[in-house]
Amino acid sequence: MTSSDQQVDSNLSQENGLAIINSKAPFSSNYGKDALDVALIFGSFEQKVSLFFQGDGVYQLIANQDASLVSIKDYLKTFSAFEFYDIEDIYVCQQSLVNRQLDEAFHINDVQVLASVEFGKALNRHQHVLRF
Amino acid sequence: MSTLHLVRKSAFTTNDFAQCLSVLDQQDSIVLMDDGCYNLKHPLMDSLIKRADSTITINVITNHAQARAIETLAEVKHIEMVDLVELTFTHKKVITWQ
Repeated sequence: MTSSDQQVDSNLSQENGLAIINSKAPFSSNYGKDALDVALIFGSFEQKVSLFFQGDGVYQLIANQDASLVSIKDYLKTFSAFEFYDIEDIYVCQQSLVNRQLDEAFHINDVQVLASVEFGKALNRHQHVLRF
Repeated sequence: MSTLHLVRKSAFTTNDFAQCLSVLDQQDSIVLMDDGCYNLKHPLMDSLIKRADSTITINVITNHAQARAIETLAEVKHIEMVDLVELTFTHKKVITWQ
């Protein structure tokens, strides 16, 4: 086996788990809530889940939001439960934040802000992808 | 012949706001509501504000912006849903961009 074969092999073996891409703003549709439900279900069955926030999906992570003002049950508060479901890999697309003039001020901890290339690489490490 | 434009979508994902701006007339008013509030931070907003020295008024539903933790601009008027109802009477037509 050549070294390049080994490289390919190790890349393949690293490819695992489920990636969930969030691409919608939080309050005008159910996509965000649905993605959250799927993430928590996989988490409770001890499946590896990573969350990706891209495009308008980054709005789901912004601090100081208040869904009660628009009469919506605040599912964003449940994001703080991720650590209890062993959901530790949470990635945000930096370019999406910049385009929207958003600071890296999130309502949960341990969020990783990645530049487009790294964001793509992180996504490609996963075997399955669901996009909401 | 004024028109009230209700903008309900984020310009970062749809081009509804751009289309709205392309047909906007001097006496018209804009109301940013629901995900339309995100447009306050969109580059299109800057060009609109530069135009807004005319008679165009830009409004935003206070609750909708606040729920989304969006800082608003001095050039934008804060209104409630009851004021929106009032605006539908003071304008000849209403277009909803969604």
